Amino acid sequence: MAPGSRTPAEAIEHYRGRTARLLACLTGEYVVVSAYHAADPPHQLELLDLAKLRAPHPLRLSVGEHYEAREDADGWRVEVVGYNYAIEHDGRDLVSYHWHPEGESPITWPHMHVGTDTHVGERWFGKVHLPTGVVGLERVVALAITELGAKPLRDDWERLIAEAADR
Amino acid sequence: MATRTDNQIRELNPEEWAQRVDEQARKYLGMSGEEFERRLRAGEIDIDDSPAVTRLAMMLPPNGTRK
Repeated sequence: MAPGSRTPAEAIEHYRGRTARLLACLTGEYVVVSAYHAADPPHQLELLDLAKLRAPHPLRLSVGEHYEAREDADGWRVEVVGYNYAIEHDGRDLVSYHWHPEGESPITWPHMHVGTDTHVGERWFGKVHLPTGVVGLERVVALAITELGAKPLRDDWERLIAEAADR
Repeated sequence: MATRTDNQIRELNPEEWAQRVDEQARKYLGMSGEEFERRLRAGEIDIDDSPAVTRLAMMLPPNGTRK
């Protein structure tokens, strides 16, 4: 694991840069972040809008993260404390990973949804919360490239994914 | 050809962030950001109603407050 940072601000700058580089593997869309000095944590990082991926089929990516800087024995680190990662195909939700422990939803654990027309009785399966562990953004980037055919926009994408997984 | 460019990062202050939520709510849900937040907090909108709703809900301040 990489060493921690000396200050919360340094940890946040590292996190922002690392995440922007990771997203640059798939899209040139702007990354927007909330001003961490102007609001209480958790802070926010998102893609500016749905990002069209370079792929032989119409894929779009949505990314939003909530994060906090926390101190441990090794210094300051950023921890993601909530997220929304979604991949659309042809304008419809293909797969999405959600974790929103705060807010109005009673579903506070990490889960995923799959885009499907299937119903289980009267329940639309697309709305069923399929339990997961905490999923890192790097796994979603890897999914898009290695399984769904998105073309990487950076030639060092495998290194960036490995670095993100090691944080 | 693959490159090594980084995405640009824009830091938004709370007012700019709220404006962004409003723009996205109008674009994807046809309502203002304020109306979306009110209806979500009141339970009239479910965070899982659609991908756009989830995305907008995650754009709101996680602790429900802005400084």
